Amino acid sequence: MYATAPVLSTPAEHIFEEESPIIPPLPLDDEQLYVQYEIQRTVNEIRDGRWTRIALQFPDEMLVHAPRVFDRLQHELRLRPPSNAVHVIEGGVEAIRLHDQGDGAGNGTCDDGIGAKLCILADTSYGACCVDEVAAEHVDAEVVVHYGRACLSPTARLPVIYVFTTKPLDQEAAVTSFIRTFPNQDERVCLLADIPYHHHLSRLGERLREEGYTKYCVTDILSDPSSLIPNRTVPTDVRDEPGKLREYSVFHISTPPTSLLLTLSSRVKSIHIYPTDASIPTKSALQPASSTALLRRRYALVTRLSTVPVFGILINTLSVSNYMAALSHVQDLITRAGKKYYVFVVGKVNAAKVANFAEIGGWVVIGCWESSLVESKDFYRPIITPFELEVALTDDRERVWGGEWVGDFAALLKRGDNMSATGHVAEEMPGTVDGFGGQHDGEDSTWDDQPSDEEPEFDLRTGRYVSQSRPMGRQKQVSSASRSNGTTAQSQASRNATPSSALVQRAKGEVALVNGAVSPAAEYLRTKRTWQGLGSDYEIAYERDAEGKIQGALMEEGRSGVAKGYMVGSAVDQRT
Amino acid sequence: MVNFTVEEIRGLMDNPVNIRNMSVIAHVDHGKSTLTDSLVQRAGIISAKNAGAQRYTDTRPDEQERGVTIKSTAISLYGSLVDDEDLKDIPIKTEKNDFLVNLIDSPGHVDFSSEVTAALRVTDGALVVVDTVEGVCVQTETVLRQALGERIKPVVIINKVDRALLELQVSKEDLYQNFSRVIESVNVVIATYFDKVLGDVQVYPDRGTIAFGSGLHGWAFTVRQFASRYAKKFGVDKNKMMQRLWGDNFFNAKTKKWVKTPEEGVERAFNQFCLDPIFRIFDCIMNFKKEETAKLIEKLEIKLAGDEKDLEGKQLLKVVMRKFLPAADALMEMMILHLPSPAVAQKYRMETLYEGPPDDESAIGIRDCDPKGPLMCYVSKMVPTSDKGRFYAFGRVFSGTAKSGMKVRIQGPNYTPGKKEDMFMKSIQRTVLMMGRVTEPIEDVPAGNILGLVGIDQFLLKSGTLTTSETAHNLKVMKFSVSPVVQRSVEVKNANDLPKLVEGLKRLSKSDPCVLVMITDSGEHVVAGAGELHLEICLKDLEEDHAGVPLRISDPVVQYRETVSGDSRMTALSKSPNKHNRLYVTATPLAEEVAKDIESGKINPRDDFKARARILADDHGWDITDARKIWCFGPDTNGANLLVDQTKAVQYLNEIKDSVVSGFQWATKEGPVAEEPMRSVRFNIMDVTLHADAIHRGGGQIIPTARRVLYAATLLADPGLMEPVFLVEIQVPEQAMGGIYGVLTRRRGHVFEEAQRPGTPLFNVKAYLPVNESFGFNADLRSATSGQAFPQMVFDHWQILPGGSPLDKTTMPGKIVEDMRKRKGIKPEVPGYENYYDKL
Repeated sequence: MYATAPVLSTPAEHIFEEESPIIPPLPLDDEQLYVQYEIQRTVNEIRDGRWTRIALQFPDEMLVHAPRVFDRLQHELRLRPPSNAVHVIEGGVEAIRLHDQGDGAGNGTCDDGIGAKLCILADTSYGACCVDEVAAEHVDAEVVVHYGRACLSPTARLPVIYVFTTKPLDQEAAVTSFIRTFPNQDERVCLLADIPYHHHLSRLGERLREEGYTKYCVTDILSDPSSLIPNRTVPTDVRDEPGKLREYSVFHISTPPTSLLLTLSSRVKSIHIYPTDASIPTKSALQPASSTALLRRRYALVTRLSTVPVFGILINTLSVSNYMAALSHVQDLITRAGKKYYVFVVGKVNAAKVANFAEIGGWVVIGCWESSLVESKDFYRPIITPFELEVALTDDRERVWGGEWVGDFAALLKRGDNMSATGHVAEEMPGTVDGFGGQHDGEDSTWDDQPSDEEPEFDLRTGRYVSQSRPMGRQKQVSSASRSNGTTAQSQASRNATPSSALVQRAKGEVALVNGAVSPAAEYLRTKRTWQGLGSDYEIAYERDAEGKIQGALMEEGRSGVAKGYMVGSAVDQRT
Repeated sequence: MVNFTVEEIRGLMDNPVNIRNMSVIAHVDHGKSTLTDSLVQRAGIISAKNAGAQRYTDTRPDEQERGVTIKSTAISLYGSLVDDEDLKDIPIKTEKNDFLVNLIDSPGHVDFSSEVTAALRVTDGALVVVDTVEGVCVQTETVLRQALGERIKPVVIINKVDRALLELQVSKEDLYQNFSRVIESVNVVIATYFDKVLGDVQVYPDRGTIAFGSGLHGWAFTVRQFASRYAKKFGVDKNKMMQRLWGDNFFNAKTKKWVKTPEEGVERAFNQFCLDPIFRIFDCIMNFKKEETAKLIEKLEIKLAGDEKDLEGKQLLKVVMRKFLPAADALMEMMILHLPSPAVAQKYRMETLYEGPPDDESAIGIRDCDPKGPLMCYVSKMVPTSDKGRFYAFGRVFSGTAKSGMKVRIQGPNYTPGKKEDMFMKSIQRTVLMMGRVTEPIEDVPAGNILGLVGIDQFLLKSGTLTTSETAHNLKVMKFSVSPVVQRSVEVKNANDLPKLVEGLKRLSKSDPCVLVMITDSGEHVVAGAGELHLEICLKDLEEDHAGVPLRISDPVVQYRETVSGDSRMTALSKSPNKHNRLYVTATPLAEEVAKDIESGKINPRDDFKARARILADDHGWDITDARKIWCFGPDTNGANLLVDQTKAVQYLNEIKDSVVSGFQWATKEGPVAEEPMRSVRFNIMDVTLHADAIHRGGGQIIPTARRVLYAATLLADPGLMEPVFLVEIQVPEQAMGGIYGVLTRRRGHVFEEAQRPGTPLFNVKAYLPVNESFGFNADLRSATSGQAFPQMVFDHWQILPGGSPLDKTTMPGKIVEDMRKRKGIKPEVPGYENYYDKL
């Protein structure tokens, strides 16, 4: 078919080809740059914090402006050295200033501002919405200035200055649209906006008051993803009575991240999204956004993963506080279900990375609450959030999928603490292990009387039985049982199994064991993969003698010398 | 009242020669359950008065209500021959005149064919019931074909003879002609599916393999019975007499001579000797000729009980006929004499039953029906118990003995010897005898018998093999003649009921051999059945019984398949994310016969690749080297799409095979057009270039790329949608024919065969009708023909949805695709091939 032999590899320069071209933002003049990147406020905050090493984190599409922002900041910092008022910083996170507190804060000068060192973090290894603490620590930064839209997840180590880089909005059009959407002026409405549009809200609120609306509520940004409205303040009357939020509709400017939509859908009356990407601003009434279809798709994923034997845990962040707690929570969940997990630390999650591990049936991502919802068909195995994992590993007989959806794992951990008293007790009841065993007493005691193999599980997605969905067995129960039996049993066991330093030959064909159970990954390699490494696809044919023993071959002299020039045979002679 | 005990039955079980396992099969409404009643009545389980009306084996309330059997029901009966002398006529030496008859009554409606399949698997013989008036219908043919495919020997009863006499008032000769026509058409079917090992199993009245009778009235006769009567009377050999009582044999009463050609005033022997007494009884009783009746009764030596003497008309007729020619006698005789015992049948059934080599211990155990061999038991279906959510595993012991408390290996349909998948160890808690609506506990059950097992239901979804031998392969998985092509989605009205629905769906899936339940990618719970009736029954069970919560049920929809109708316009090329690897693939349609053979299991991914290549090359004209280089089947590793390696000398190809196969399974499960499964597509890998470093050609690079390139190849090859098509058979009187055509044309159906049933004004119309258009077809047809047409629909094949390309939104397929994509929540436009195709 091809005249010449095919080239076996692509030229290396192809790797630099842009996968998806990024649309460069509009060129800004200095004035605009000043406003959009809030240079002044940034400088003030840096001064207030008396920070000297500052990291600037830009998302990819804003990198174009990074050098100019850097220049301006450096210029400003030199020009007006920071105040010498000593601020006591109580814990890193407290230092976040979400609002410009006026530029009159500086009431003195000090020369040590000259030492401030700025640094651009040009390649964010996780999502652009998260603060890249690791990269910042590489440059020993004391503070990170985060540009662009942010998920506002609490950070673990460093204080952050958020610069949301505002975007313009046709406010009159938005007001018209609002009036058309909510003709009733007594309607309870929460005004929300995506972070770049947030600054328009207060003005919008004033306009609405002029129009005669009374029951609306303008939300404020808050760094708390586990709030009732993630990262936003809730109306005052809701604060005391969380259920009241359900009486509110939401008017959201710009398309919210999907996870926000899912989280809110069960908590509020309806969500109306005001689109901002159209070239002509919309003025018409807005239909409530529906997340039902999306929730159903997530449900399909959850049920699909309930029979998966091996999970991969993707750690997709190192910056979010208590991710370690979330990890151990997830690990605990998986172990308790008798399944196996492997932990992976990744930067940006993409299809190619996760498809490298064919033995893994599903992925759980621990990341910031916005980016952990991966809704793409391109992944070989589905990716779910810790909340969804919790649902997936709930027994079929208890699993409920209403409208509730939790993206933030801090909220999940809180919930888990509250629920552990009720929910998990049922899960550990021995009755549920043996199917209906618990329900039968008296005459039907013959149903389940002997221990035997783990029951297969019904895979709801295919309608078939899956036989090895719990490869690790229900070991948790066993081990806890033996522990409760007292230490005598344990010490006896350890005495019997005296550790020996002698090497033990592994039986042929045996695969690695983990706590007495066959390692699922090793099992996968043995049974499912046809390619098991070099030499596995052909048999080495030894020459055998008449008795069937392998015949030894005669030793031959090989090459010798160094890589610069190998010699064969009487090399020594030649070299001299 | 029951005139045999469990102990007696247990005693009979030890003697395989004295066992008959048989199923009653027929077209819907030909009278299976009614006939079964006569046998049940003989066993003393129901009173003679109720026999024929009670339908004992219709155990569910809705079966009784609708008058249609839905589930197959088994019952064990004690039987014996009237005359001990007859034992000699059994082909294999039998000493005792005590028989255990395990009988399974099966449903006749096409939608429940899977129940028939499950029944046939555990039996060795079949009683085929054919309506005198309606003759051989589509379902008669289907079940006969299935029976012969399982190597099951048929005997036939021509039922509802009373209708011919009372309603149609036919003459004796007409009735004879009618009988022979029916017999001929039965034999045509049998001859079509001739099996060398089973031998000639055509049925002949003069060999005693056909009975005539009326289930409703409880009478039946075989030519053999009459022959025995007359043999004594005339003092001739019984077998000779049998020969003469059928066919062109005439007896001239004056000359006392047998002749071969009809003469003036000479009647056919069958008419004269068999039909005449019956006709006379009918005539006397129905015309209220009391004196003659009394005389006749006396002559036939029928003794009436006191109160029966006062009866008149039909009531009297029933009593007299039942005493004259009891149906149970004729049926028992036919079954015992002509149906094989397990000892005989398992010899020739072993090779069609067992997947493993014919000489291992399990195979030999089955062949010899050896109660001491390793246990081999096939569970063919699950029967709900009174205990909610638990099931009896219903099956047959082919070898060994099943005991309570015995630890067995439970092998699911996907088990392969040597692997742990789909295999469980568990003890049988109890063995029971299935007796219609009740069960009787029994200590153990030896080879050759049908039984119910308690306590292993959690390990079996629908069917499976139980064994004690570690080397045993599976008993062959059943292939159904129907496919679940009609589906509806269900959802709970109250979100908190979801667990109950899920649990209910699992139980539903267990309780029916054919129903499929699943969750689609868009999160809907879908129940798929063979037809509208089947689905209706399943959903009713789900709502009322299995789940017990209120449900919202969608309209029925069909599942489509994606395919290609031409070759790829150019070789599709996709590059891996790192641009270092390239795959070149083309797509081409698979011949329909190949796809069908794959679906029916004739071409099997588990077969030896050389044997498979032979079939492909010899039967389907494949290139032998191509046929040997099939990488895999898909989706689910057994679907009707193939991936063929046509590359030459590609380095590292073995290494990426697993990844490409994964991508192929993924792509064929969700096609590019509407994320529906693909069908009947062959993908050829034309060339592959790979990076020299293993790290750059791992699964992460190849799997997504393989999917992309397969999508591109499909989109380049004129993609199409396939829809399922029903075969419809309609029986209709001539005057109502016009209505049928109107309804069919409106619904994109077309008639391909139309034949008059000889001797009747009825026409048999066969047509193809897309499943999508079949919803409400019955009602429509009924109104168009004023209720005179009776359709039977069964899935037949897939066809490409006509009307243009599914990529074009203005065509009908295009609209269907758009709707589907919207329903699934994906963007309504089908992405172009450019999305998956990379330029070099």
